[in-house]
Amino acid sequence: MSSSSPDLSVSIGGLKLKNPVMAASGTFGYGVEYAELFDIGALGAIVIKAVTLRPREGNRPPRVVETPAGMLNAIGRQHPGADAVIAEKLPELAKHDVPIIVNLSGEAIDEYVELAEKFTECGLADALELNVSCPNVKHGMVFGTCPELTGELVRAVRRATDLPLITKLSPNVTDITEIAVSAVEAGSDALSAINTLLGMSIDVQRRRPLLGNVTGGLSGPAIKPVALRCVWQVYEAVEVPVIGMGGIMDTSDALEFIMAGASAVGVGTAHFVNPTVSVEIVEGLQRYCGEHGLASISDLIGVAHS
Amino acid sequence: MVSEECRLLTNEPIAPDHHVMTLATSQIAKLARPGQFVHLRIPGTYDPLLRRPISVMLAERAHGHLQLVVRVAGRGTEIIAKTAAGSLLELLGPLGTPFPLPGEGGLTGEGDVLLVAGGVGVAPLVFLADALREFDPPAYVRGLFGAANEDMLVCWTEFAARCDEFYVTTEDGSAGEQGLITEALAGQLERGQARVVYACGPVGMMAQVAGMCREVHVPCYCSLEQRMGCGVGACLSCAVQAAGGGYVRVCKDGPIFAAERLDWEAIAGEQQ
Repeated sequence: MSSSSPDLSVSIGGLKLKNPVMAASGTFGYGVEYAELFDIGALGAIVIKAVTLRPREGNRPPRVVETPAGMLNAIGRQHPGADAVIAEKLPELAKHDVPIIVNLSGEAIDEYVELAEKFTECGLADALELNVSCPNVKHGMVFGTCPELTGELVRAVRRATDLPLITKLSPNVTDITEIAVSAVEAGSDALSAINTLLGMSIDVQRRRPLLGNVTGGLSGPAIKPVALRCVWQVYEAVEVPVIGMGGIMDTSDALEFIMAGASAVGVGTAHFVNPTVSVEIVEGLQRYCGEHGLASISDLIGVAHS
Repeated sequence: MVSEECRLLTNEPIAPDHHVMTLATSQIAKLARPGQFVHLRIPGTYDPLLRRPISVMLAERAHGHLQLVVRVAGRGTEIIAKTAAGSLLELLGPLGTPFPLPGEGGLTGEGDVLLVAGGVGVAPLVFLADALREFDPPAYVRGLFGAANEDMLVCWTEFAARCDEFYVTTEDGSAGEQGLITEALAGQLERGQARVVYACGPVGMMAQVAGMCREVHVPCYCSLEQRMGCGVGACLSCAVQAAGGGYVRVCKDGPIFAAERLDWEAIAGEQQ
């Protein structure tokens, strides 16, 4: 063990985090849902559920179905709308000492721009994450599967905000690096990889799709190898920090992503299995660094490439 | 709400695919109120992945003992039901909105309390009947219990012991009156003097109970089940259709709902 405590802090496109563990968008609500269980201020950052400009009802149930070592979800962005989030949700979360990353989800470029302006002006967001990869919304994934559209969107939002800008990449593409490069060239300060994989499941008794929305996003341990491969490729393709996510269940999984090139990690579905998992991973990373005599967690970023 | 690792004290098979499990908790039993549930982690595996929401049947505050009825409905509940006494299980709870008790939530009227259980839906109503016994002034409780057959009248002695009057129906006539519990409820509602009806069972049953109560202007509260993710209101996986449009979360807004808050036709339609 090293005598001084290892430095877990990392920097994501100008946003300084006290440790690299984030709660991923959509699995952690607006943060406060979990505040009763543990000090959410112990997390590196909280990415709130994808915000839509206007209130939305979401998809019809069932919205979730289990698959081998994973789950499919098709929530469909049930949402109170941007103004309600700024007025009611963010002030509550802002009482905790943790950076807030707002995940933005629009239907068109001008919607993303309007969202970015609102959250920049409100002064409560520390960074913005562009959700260009939601599989549960008509056209939701269109931006994220086309390099030109991704570039156009990122450029437009870039002009509308001076907050650190993160683009969340979809794995449902032939070459994720094309989209990654396009987002970075257009001004994205960092990239998140990955969003869920598009999937489905059929009830053989009723002979119908199990999800109300037919298709949904696959998450959980089942997708970890795919996510890790994406992070590896994106790390090699761009210079900006990568936030790795997809099936992270414990410290060892988080370390794999960091070694593949992630500067920070997002913990998502694991919260449903173990609601305190993200703070346990923070402690686990601290322990790993201590046991291996590392002064800083950043010494591990991308080490598996060398 | 707390997250606890709890020792499984006993695990008794009580009927085909039904187990009563008693767990030693430090906080959850003390905090639990009738209608609330615990989110149980499936031990030792990520396949299946998600926790299973299970209603609390009884909470002994003095010893911290929590009793659950687990019905084996798939691989997840099968693994939980096979857990040996002495093992540790991870519980998150108590979760959800409990039943409003008479005197709460505008339940100020006079009259009897009717509890309508269908099969394993009896669990939260045993807890509720237990709480009503200690009520001041005492509530007069009429318990109604329906199931497919005698075997599926799980925990009926626990339920009956806590009711002032007790009625049973089975679909095959192997116990009590042959028929559906909603037929027995019709007779009980005709008697009048019902202040409130609490129901838990299959969605089709509860939809009918809700409709019958609406006709005679008796408040009705139902306990819902749904595929669930987080259990704490964050992920919006367990949404069901609300009356007048939109969705409510079973884990946080429920599992107990005033019947008129829900769109029963839509909810029953999903489960067919």
